[in-house]
Amino acid sequence: MVEGILFVLMAVTALAGAVTVVVARNPVYSAMGLLGTLFSVAVLYVAQLAHFVAAVQVIVYAGAVMTLFLFVIMFIGVDTSDDRDERLPMQRFWVGILAGVIVLLAAGITLSGNFDWVPAAVETIPEATNGTIQAIAEPLFTDWVLAFEATALLLTISAAGAIALAHFKGQRT
Amino acid sequence: MTFTIDYLALAPELVIVGTLLVVFTLDMVLTRPKKFWIATAAVAGTALAAIPLVILGVQGETRSMFDGSYVVDEFALVLKGLFIVAAYLVLLMSHHYIESERYYQGEYYFLLLASVLGSLVMASSRDLIILFIGLELTTAPLFLLTGWRKGDAKSNEASLKYFILGVLSTAILLYGMSFLYGLTGEITFSGLAEATAGRGDEPAMVMAILFVIVGFGFKIAAVPFHFWAPDTYEGAPTPITAYLSVNSKIAGFVALLLMLYIALPGVSEVWAPALWILAALSMTVGNLSALRQTNIVRLLAYSSVAQAGFMLVPFAAAAVVGADLEEAFAATVVYLAIYAVMNLGAFAVVIAGARKTRSGELSAWAGLAQVDSRLGVLVAVFFFSLAGIPPLAGWFAKFAMFRSVMIAGGTTTVVLAVIAAVNAVIALYYYAKVVKTVWVDDPTGEFVEDVEAAPAVSLRLALWVSLALTVAIGFFPALVTFVGDASRVIAVGG
Repeated sequence: MVEGILFVLMAVTALAGAVTVVVARNPVYSAMGLLGTLFSVAVLYVAQLAHFVAAVQVIVYAGAVMTLFLFVIMFIGVDTSDDRDERLPMQRFWVGILAGVIVLLAAGITLSGNFDWVPAAVETIPEATNGTIQAIAEPLFTDWVLAFEATALLLTISAAGAIALAHFKGQRT
Repeated sequence: MTFTIDYLALAPELVIVGTLLVVFTLDMVLTRPKKFWIATAAVAGTALAAIPLVILGVQGETRSMFDGSYVVDEFALVLKGLFIVAAYLVLLMSHHYIESERYYQGEYYFLLLASVLGSLVMASSRDLIILFIGLELTTAPLFLLTGWRKGDAKSNEASLKYFILGVLSTAILLYGMSFLYGLTGEITFSGLAEATAGRGDEPAMVMAILFVIVGFGFKIAAVPFHFWAPDTYEGAPTPITAYLSVNSKIAGFVALLLMLYIALPGVSEVWAPALWILAALSMTVGNLSALRQTNIVRLLAYSSVAQAGFMLVPFAAAAVVGADLEEAFAATVVYLAIYAVMNLGAFAVVIAGARKTRSGELSAWAGLAQVDSRLGVLVAVFFFSLAGIPPLAGWFAKFAMFRSVMIAGGTTTVVLAVIAAVNAVIALYYYAKVVKTVWVDDPTGEFVEDVEAAPAVSLRLALWVSLALTVAIGFFPALVTFVGDASRVIAVGG
């Protein structure tokens, strides 16, 4: 019951944040909306007993990534308004209708109630390991060492490539 | 705690990682005129990576690591070999192109090798996480490399389009994979194969599978997920276009093959019809769009969309009850191997020709054979091979494809075979048009005729290797049938 209420609360805030990201005219408000979404999702993780993921979500996304976003927004300047011309006629109208149809469909399916979304749910839920550094590090550096190292390389690539692409000085066009 | 890593099994990957580090270090210490050593190191390292592959192949035993999530078997070895040969050819094509246009060289080879590493990892992956990371490692460097011609707006557009659609497709793919995990609690392919069998009627399962197919559909540029391909191919540096259309596409197909045949053979009634539609649409839309192209790279882009359609045809054969999944699997792998060789050849010709015509427009290529008959012959060889005309390699790819479908039988698959046959004829028209332009038409403009315009040694080597392979495979298809046979072993029988 508590989990149900928590879910509804957090789902609503997450959606509200997501809508704000798209709708807000000021990019700082968009960033704040995103922050709200990220926090709500973090709470949902806690409800699922995934404490470590929740902590990472808050530290990495809400902390580091958001700071970076805000930094970039401030750096470029908040008052630079986007070109909001819409090329397609009646764009919003048709998207509204489409979204409405999807919502109605989803509501209909849910309300009709005879929809077996997952007939055979997984019985065995993996046991939550306690979140010590050792418990996390051991699988990371044994069973998942390959994926872990490959991910590290992926980050190096992004950094090296982004610098190479952004650095324009002294290059012939 | 006993935890060991089989270093010999990982040797090809480790050699590439070593090369990557050497390239990175060399870039920092060498001055501009000596940068060619970077390319040399990259080429040598890639060639070196083939040695452990051969050793592993001779030993012939299946090595499994990390609880079966990383397996080096014959299928993995054959595909790793294919990836390395293709990467080798692309590196040879890149060398002069990158140097003469004064792009950043160190980072270029670093990123390209990282992408090769990703494809090697993918060929061995037998669980969702490693497959996903391998796929990302293959494509992420390409987002950057497509934008390497920084001064050119088209290249910027190419990079941005590829990035946005690539990230979107990744998100969809990951969503589908997380559903698969949520429904089954399994990550390894063998676990998934058991857990999903016979559950094709659950809505959530159908959605998960469709999401996965959509995600891979972007990677292989199948219609209707192909919109990024022509613009990206046109804007990217030509060697990167070659890499995109060969290595990156094969990587997508490897992922698709592993996911569908190894992890999800029990629900083929869900994915086979979806791939039937993808195959039919890709062939038809790809070929019809290619007919109208005036730019040779865009033409090859649409041609590669259509070729992806041909490669998808055997997948649809799996829908037939009791069909021989091994046959379909092998047909796609054979098609991939042959496609890699001839398409790389076609791009090498485009690079060599563009040095003389200074243009990618087909009209500028008119009469090229009159000034350079050898280039003309190469154009004819590779484009006729893509069309599937015997005795060039392409015919065997199409033969294997049709054979797998006919063996499977069934009304729907035969209909698809008819669509494929009609498309093969349409494709011949535009491939032949290129050859006709080069050989028959009168030159419309001046060709650049100086030392600069002659193909560099490395490019010539790439041309020779792909020419030799295209002709040799055409006469002795047995050269690639072992590729198919090797991969047959792991396909799970339906």
